[in-house]
Amino acid sequence: MRIQVNARNRGYDFDAAPGEHILYAGLRAGIDLPYECATGTCGTCKAKLVSGRVRDEWPQAPGRKYVKPAAGEFLMCQCVAEEPLTVEVSKFVYPMEGGACVPQPASATLRSPHALTHDVMAFTLELDEPRDFDAGQFALLAPPGVPGYRAYSMCSHERGSRRFDFLVKRKPDGGFSQWLFAGNRDGAQLEVFGPLGKATFDPSLARNLLLIAGGSGIAGMRSILTRAARERYFERHRGYVFFGVRTLRDAFWLRELSEHAGANVEVTVALSEDDVPAEAKSQWPRLRFERGLVHEVAKRAMAGKYAELRAYVAGPPPAVDAAIRVLLLEAKLSTDNIRYDKYS
Amino acid sequence: MGKRLICQVADVPENGLKECETGDGLKLVVANAGGEFYGFQATCPHQEVPLCEGLFDGATLTCHMHLWQWDVRTGEARGIAEAPLQLFPLAREGDALYLAAAGGALDVGELFNGLAGRTLEALASLARPEAHAKGATLYRPGDPADDFFVLDAGRIEFLIGRGERSAPSGFMLKKGEVFGWAALLDGYPARIASARCLEDSRILRINGKRALAVLEQDSQAGFVVMRRLAALVARYLATSGVK
Repeated sequence: MRIQVNARNRGYDFDAAPGEHILYAGLRAGIDLPYECATGTCGTCKAKLVSGRVRDEWPQAPGRKYVKPAAGEFLMCQCVAEEPLTVEVSKFVYPMEGGACVPQPASATLRSPHALTHDVMAFTLELDEPRDFDAGQFALLAPPGVPGYRAYSMCSHERGSRRFDFLVKRKPDGGFSQWLFAGNRDGAQLEVFGPLGKATFDPSLARNLLLIAGGSGIAGMRSILTRAARERYFERHRGYVFFGVRTLRDAFWLRELSEHAGANVEVTVALSEDDVPAEAKSQWPRLRFERGLVHEVAKRAMAGKYAELRAYVAGPPPAVDAAIRVLLLEAKLSTDNIRYDKYS
Repeated sequence: MGKRLICQVADVPENGLKECETGDGLKLVVANAGGEFYGFQATCPHQEVPLCEGLFDGATLTCHMHLWQWDVRTGEARGIAEAPLQLFPLAREGDALYLAAAGGALDVGELFNGLAGRTLEALASLARPEAHAKGATLYRPGDPADDFFVLDAGRIEFLIGRGERSAPSGFMLKKGEVFGWAALLDGYPARIASARCLEDSRILRINGKRALAVLEQDSQAGFVVMRRLAALVARYLATSGVK
């Protein structure tokens, strides 16, 4: 199906497969259409129908509050073309840069799911073919029988790998996490679309890194740490990692984070609802532990250390918003040095 | 229209923001920047996020949703913001703030806002307001590129190629946006695209050579305009990620 997108700066046309969501078809064609969550929440991929007909596959999407259906507006991530379309996007839209990891659909097999805490599970996806992604990116996953994609960050990083590692926190109303926790899913077939997301790290950045993660937001941070460590990035630059959880019982990957901690890398675990148990420091001598909300712990520890720095933030929206406030108003970081994903 | 009360000076905290509404329903945000007051549009030009919820450090406003930033004194976009803020000039009388005369398309616009009064007036005297109905064509490929245009209201679409083979190549929708800027460049005497009104539209038509002559007289303003023009042209050349 032919799709014509008229953006502020130019027009694009591309083909969508039958049933393919318009956003994914455009991204797959190397056009950097606007999106953030790509899963119906944020409203960023809003477009306006000029001609043709679309079918909305998720009329209850939370992001629909940003669109005016009477004016022909719709979310490109949720809609399918029923006939050739012309749509208007009120933004500047550019082709993806050469060398960008252009997202593509893939099939994958879920491998070795294992619990990290009472409500966090890790697993690996084996893709049908190798795929590149940038550290900090995410992918959309759809298990069999669960409608719609969910977005999860890769927590590994390896060029041209078929194996992508993920982390999922159990949520009472989360379709994917309920499916994952409801039985042994080893060997399950999933549909995948990715990679996506612009909160990416590349060693050419050559700045100190501040990573602030609330809960499962640590997933993408681990991908960044893996990439940086492999490139010996921390021989030349400093790293500051803040991992916020409610209590020590909710923390995971402390051994892996300990391995990253060193002369140039400080790793702090912030406990928001519990005092730091005495045994934590003896068990994990290379980690720091503080009581408090992760953005407040980071603010206290980081005073005076913001020069030549880029910050990455991920986690629940209130934690991300609070951290961004600190980074803008206290740290006075420029906005291009604040990269973030909000999981809602 | 008589002068419109916005709010009391005491309502706007020092280095803070306040959303206000005039008696006739115009919503705006007032910023107190170290005792100076500036009024601007109430919602972010990006998505419909209330700017009174933004982060304000006394000079720079940041929308909390996607971190677009502006200098509240000029409305100029900073950092990753892709559009300026529309300013509403305020006048202080005693303890109250009033809406001063609303800015025209020229002085809220992306090329000329904030220029010295005399230069802005000279440019305004060159501007011929025109109204065009939906579907009207303003120019076609090959037409002489003598004039440039500032959008006041409406929506203008650009097409490259001719007739059946023409393809959309962007559109303008914001008050103050400038198009047809080949008229400000040497060596581009003819249009390379066509411009068509997607809605009933109002524009200002300005002769390029005469505008350049005005800017020759105020080289500081000329430098500012040329810097902005270079940034504007570059936006159409950029690829993703290097905006």
